[in-house]
Amino acid sequence: MLACLLPALVLFAVFMVYPTVNVFRMSLYTWSGFSPDMKFVGLDNFRHLIDDEQFVRAFQNTVTLLVVVTAVTMGMGLFLAAIMTRQKLRSRNFLRFVLYIPNVLSVVVIAAVFSAIYDQNNGLLNSMLRLVSLDSWQQVWLGDQKVVLYSVGIAMVWQSLGYYMVLYMSSMSSIPEELYEASGLDGASATRQFFSITMPLIWQNLRTSLTFFIMSAVNLSFVLVRAMTGGGPDSSSEVLLSYMYKQAYTNSSYGYGMAIGVVIFAFSFLVSLLMSRATKREPLQF
Amino acid sequence: MRRSLAFAGTAVTVLGLLATGCSGGGDSADSGKTTLKVAALEGGYGRDMYTQVIKAYEAAHPDVDVQLQISKSIEDEITPNMKAGKYPDVVVLGQGRKAALTETLVKDKAVEDLTPVLKAKVPGETKTVGDKLTPGIVGNLNTNPYGTDKTYLMPMYYAPTGLFYNQALFKKNGWETPATWDDMFALGDKAKKAGIPLFTYPTAGYLDSYFFALLADVGGEQFYTDVMTYKKDVWKTPNAKKALDITTKLLGYAAPTTVGYANEQDFTKNQQSILDNKALFMPNGTWITGEMADAPRADGFTWGLTPLPAVTTGAKRYLTTSVESVWVPSAAQHKDAAKDFVAYLYSDEAAKIFAKSNAIQPIQGIADNLTGESASFYKLYEDPSVSALVGGFASTSPVEGVDIKSTLFDTANSIISGDTTEAKWQSALNEASEKLRQAGN
Repeated sequence: MLACLLPALVLFAVFMVYPTVNVFRMSLYTWSGFSPDMKFVGLDNFRHLIDDEQFVRAFQNTVTLLVVVTAVTMGMGLFLAAIMTRQKLRSRNFLRFVLYIPNVLSVVVIAAVFSAIYDQNNGLLNSMLRLVSLDSWQQVWLGDQKVVLYSVGIAMVWQSLGYYMVLYMSSMSSIPEELYEASGLDGASATRQFFSITMPLIWQNLRTSLTFFIMSAVNLSFVLVRAMTGGGPDSSSEVLLSYMYKQAYTNSSYGYGMAIGVVIFAFSFLVSLLMSRATKREPLQF
Repeated sequence: MRRSLAFAGTAVTVLGLLATGCSGGGDSADSGKTTLKVAALEGGYGRDMYTQVIKAYEAAHPDVDVQLQISKSIEDEITPNMKAGKYPDVVVLGQGRKAALTETLVKDKAVEDLTPVLKAKVPGETKTVGDKLTPGIVGNLNTNPYGTDKTYLMPMYYAPTGLFYNQALFKKNGWETPATWDDMFALGDKAKKAGIPLFTYPTAGYLDSYFFALLADVGGEQFYTDVMTYKKDVWKTPNAKKALDITTKLLGYAAPTTVGYANEQDFTKNQQSILDNKALFMPNGTWITGEMADAPRADGFTWGLTPLPAVTTGAKRYLTTSVESVWVPSAAQHKDAAKDFVAYLYSDEAAKIFAKSNAIQPIQGIADNLTGESASFYKLYEDPSVSALVGGFASTSPVEGVDIKSTLFDTANSIISGDTTEAKWQSALNEASEKLRQAGN
């Protein structure tokens, strides 16, 4: 048995365990990433983090994005999946296809698409607002420090929504129709059916996807921020991973960057744990 | 079947390892040639000039085989190998790039001292490299990043930077390029009446050419050096306040679209606003003409370049000069051959090839043969009231979380949008400068 597992264990150790342990080790040094001059500084890098306003801002931005994007994506994903599964929409397959498309697009393409949508002069969004006489709602979507983070968040939702909707549709379609018929005879509304039948029966799937989404959102926020705003204007859309990248590679503070990496690791781990605890329910079966 | 698959797999692995091992060597043992690895950034000048120069060098040096690696993101391509200990012998890559590879190696003291190259004769010629170079182009913080008399980064190409504008628009409105900041703001008011904002920038990072010249204009070269070397409380001085006052006022005249487009994705839209007569001035370098060559433009559009206005009438004006560098990593395998190759890059033969692609080297007399737009840009150096300014912030040990260039330039976005104040800007600059001063000591 062990012999069968050995290749996988070796690969796991080399490509997962070792790099992760190395990140922890490197976070205790000051190092540029190139020279052999590595100076052990203990927890100094972590002490610097506490006083670093840019890091605090990047952390706040990451948490804001995670909360808002997760709530909107999961909420809309569930809502759309329920509509598409329970309602006999004629254009169901077409809608599913259209909503799923962004998931297969490269993030760079998504950044270019949203750059065009958000253009302050000729962008789709401001043009539509002008068309419906909501001129006062027009914004400099990527230039206003108060809205730029949410502009990136909308692109994240657009990219992820279709995937999670299809995932939930798949779970929902396996729920026996008799349960809905019986509850319908008892007078349960569609909303009641959603909360009393659909949600409890796909709960395990929801839990897993929630953890998975939060982890992928940390990565997606980095890629989109890099492509759309570069963290600007004036670091207002900086997220943890983009700040880590800047410190490690642009500011030649590799050890400090790794300390930020450790914080991201610990934060992700903690959020997953909390999410797992908070959503723990007795599994229901049909 | 299984056995044959396992055998095939092993064979592929062994062949792969052998192939990797064979290609990892520096020299071709059978030919007895030295293999010189040259890595270069493929910038606005293209790649052909490098292949032609290498061909000419190899013809004169049959014992050297030059392997060129060139890319628009050369840092990303050579960094993994460098981390594995495989360094190129010569790197053509300036400072100010996003990945900051040159800066990182400078901070690490991992670049070779090239002072001997300045004293060496150019291969095939009688003059030394130092004799051929334009006076003042070496010995500054750009080439001598540790503030000593040792040159680590050789100046490869140079270009004036300053405020770019549309000459035809000025002619049509009877406007003169401003000689003082008072003239500048008076012009800003006139242009405002004509519906044209005075100023824009592609991204805040382009303000380097603006700020460096402004600091020297305001306080002279000594003040500029004090700022670049993080003199204690330099940002609290009246000169620093004056520079920030002028900038804050100028940013008040910025085109409203500036901040929204000042990112990696949209910066060309800010550049386009100059071509469309939707902004009057933009800080940039001479590469802008090539970069926007295919962009639509207003009728009769002609690129113009002017140095920053002076603080008082008749005062000296500075033209920040962008210098791209060539350097040799300390860990390079063939340092002597690398230095010889670097010296050759300043030969008449190589300079002629580079100049054909508009890559102008800081060699005495080379700019005299220029024609067209380039000629008018480089002619600015002949104005006795204008001086070239080369350099940048001095290199120190990295300070965690501190990037003074970002504090100086990116805050302009917040000043325009009203998210911060000049006082906070000055305070943040002083704090960053002080941390770097301590790291430098």
